[in-house]
Amino acid sequence: MIAFEGVTRSYGEKLAVAGLDLMIPRGELFALLGPNGAGKTTTIKMLVGLLRPSRGTVRVAGHDLVRDPRAAHLHLGYVPDEPCLYEKLTGREFLWYIADMFGMPKAAAEKRIAAEISNFELGEFADDLAESYSLGMRQRLVFASSLLHDPDVLVLDEPMVGLDPRSVRIVKDLLRDRTRGGMTVFMSTHTLAMAEELADRVGIMVRGRLQFLGTVADLRARGSGLVEGAGDGESRSLEQLYLEITSTDGPGSSP
Amino acid sequence: MMPPPAPDALPRPISSGEESGIFLRLRWLIARSTVREMLRTSRLRVSLVILLSALFWGSLFGLFHEAFTFVDSLHAEVISLLFNAFFSSLMVMLVFSTGILLYSGLYTTPEARLLLTLPVRSETIFAHKFQEAFWFSSWGFILLGSPMLTAYGVVRHAPWPFFVLIIPFMVAFVAIPATLGGIVCMALVAWMPRLRLHALSIAVGAALMAMIGLAWMALASPRADAMSAAWFEQAFSRLSITEQRMLPSWWLSSGLIEAAARAKDGTVARHQTEALRFLAVLVSNALMLQLVGRQVAARLHRLGASQLVSEIPTRRQRRMSWFDELLSRAGTDRGRPLRLLIVKDLRIFRRDISQWSQFVIFFGLLGLYFWNVRVFNYQHAYAAMIGFLNLAVVGLILSTFTTRFVFPMISLEGRRFWILGLLPVNRDQIVWSKFIFSFVGGIVPCCLLVALSDTMLGIEPWLIALHEVCCVVLCAGLSGIAVGIGARMPDLREVSPSKIASGFGGTLSLVISSLFIIAVVLVTAVPVHIRFAAQERAVAVAGWTRADRGVALGLAAAIALGLLATFLPLFLGLRAFRRLEP
Repeated sequence: MIAFEGVTRSYGEKLAVAGLDLMIPRGELFALLGPNGAGKTTTIKMLVGLLRPSRGTVRVAGHDLVRDPRAAHLHLGYVPDEPCLYEKLTGREFLWYIADMFGMPKAAAEKRIAAEISNFELGEFADDLAESYSLGMRQRLVFASSLLHDPDVLVLDEPMVGLDPRSVRIVKDLLRDRTRGGMTVFMSTHTLAMAEELADRVGIMVRGRLQFLGTVADLRARGSGLVEGAGDGESRSLEQLYLEITSTDGPGSSP
Repeated sequence: MMPPPAPDALPRPISSGEESGIFLRLRWLIARSTVREMLRTSRLRVSLVILLSALFWGSLFGLFHEAFTFVDSLHAEVISLLFNAFFSSLMVMLVFSTGILLYSGLYTTPEARLLLTLPVRSETIFAHKFQEAFWFSSWGFILLGSPMLTAYGVVRHAPWPFFVLIIPFMVAFVAIPATLGGIVCMALVAWMPRLRLHALSIAVGAALMAMIGLAWMALASPRADAMSAAWFEQAFSRLSITEQRMLPSWWLSSGLIEAAARAKDGTVARHQTEALRFLAVLVSNALMLQLVGRQVAARLHRLGASQLVSEIPTRRQRRMSWFDELLSRAGTDRGRPLRLLIVKDLRIFRRDISQWSQFVIFFGLLGLYFWNVRVFNYQHAYAAMIGFLNLAVVGLILSTFTTRFVFPMISLEGRRFWILGLLPVNRDQIVWSKFIFSFVGGIVPCCLLVALSDTMLGIEPWLIALHEVCCVVLCAGLSGIAVGIGARMPDLREVSPSKIASGFGGTLSLVISSLFIIAVVLVTAVPVHIRFAAQERAVAVAGWTRADRGVALGLAAAIALGLLATFLPLFLGLRAFRRLEP
């Protein structure tokens, strides 16, 4: 459903993403981890069409993001780290705007909007102007808007920022539910626990390169062999393993 | 959770017309809530804007009516020259203003990023953002141009179709440079993202220089010739370079002149047909350029947006300047927190290009104007009055800066209260630091400008001294009003200084500032005028006359007004700020 084929992106002389080859099938929840400046945001920007690769191709549902961005965007839902809303629109008006952009028929859009308002508990403030919303309310509204057209691919950039524990639970349940229904989720996060809890596979990116790709179980298994005599991987926390991979002088430091 | 959507609920690509319809609805919804909110919360501001716009329009109409009545007595070609010079200058400005507005609308705003992730055509995004930029860059032209053209029609006894055609002519004309600005902007961003700012700055600089050069070339002449018939003739012959038949400004001015014309027998049909032909040329060119603009958008918009995202902001190490160092170390330990607050504001000002560039542009243009007043010869009394008018203009420009940049300063500290609240700084020092920053920052350029204006006008030294005292009074009063009202009515939730300034407190600050300037200028200018009138009637005798006493009293009243405008708002602001709970 998502395909990065030999994708490289540089900023001047700085290589942000180097030769990324990654296929994410339908119904998988993929979590991209990595320290600040690792290339996660660049990868996400290429996946949603904000940035073109210097080399290689990014495809969503078979559509090239550079050659046919409109066709690719019909299959995409995107929740950015900084939600963008029209301050002078109400939450409901914003949802209608997005539904119209995706060409949803009126009756179907009406049903979906009502359902997402209920799913994300937006009812209380759906008819207030967005300028009065808190960060959490904005984030919930953007989540609702990204799911309106039931996209094949949902891209999340640090999705839990600003959400209260109840909203986090709603989002987690929803992600599980949607991936079971066939939606592919690509998520960038710093929260290891969330990746561990939700992701089918994780990728750890360091200085533009994928240093690890596999399941959390694979990561633990790899961890047991990272440092000789360190003991059983299962007994070491995911945080320790992550820090070892992303450490500048650890295993992840070699290309 | 939701069941999967029915097949007819799946997303589908929509037509270009549907996309435009969605943007139209979006604009309508935003306009509706904005107007509703303005009527609910900013009635004073709306009324003031309408009233001042009507006043501005009426004054311009009166001014142009007088000017056209005078010019009408000269050769008929003068009007054509004036129109061509005016519209061609506006055309250049519109290219740049729309280009800059579209740069922001198409690439840098959060909305631009949202639109790039939706299944919408680039050409529709261009059309949507172009309409916004078109409106923002043309309303000034319409506000300035409509009274001018109405006055022209009235003076020339133009037939009624002329008045009907004014707006279509203006709209079709504005669309041409505006679209050109958009095309240039997209090409620059896509092909020269790293050079775009430099290229834009160079182009704006070159255009400004060209316009100033044109004005200088047209008006410069020996002092003795100024305002004479020969001077006019010379100036107009130099302006004839703007009469190029390939320029849209020529199509516009020719069309308008035709629309206002009557044949010798009083019939208008032939001239009206000709006017409609010029309108058709303008409309067809505007539409053709729109098509080109949409094609350019389809090819370059996403490429440009990607190029811009690819840019890494240059990292620059900032060190403490010698001036900041000196300011923070000089003086007593007791005053150090106050000085550090001033140094902090000074650094923010220096690093915020939008603040100091506007400061430089406005005061620079004012300086250029004052430098050029020497072209004309004036009598003493007339020169003194122009000196007072220039003083008022300096005050008005300063008041827009104090309202736009100084008034929001206290509100912006709201977000930093967690820092300031934990520091050994009392709240009074925060307010005083803003006042000193504004007062000292304003006094230097303003006093220099007033001195330049008076020197160029050849004003007597005692009057220069009087103007300088008034200038200091204005700087103190305007700073006191902006800081005092800013502390009395802070908006701690808003992060945008422009939104803070455009709220009720900002509007009140601007209105009080304007009234204060008018009061100070009037109480000093009227006695000076009376004194010159007395001198002309040869009433003056040696020694301290009644007229001199009037001037001294006027000055005392101005100082008293200044003290009141400085300390009353500051007192109210300090009292409110001490009690403020962030």
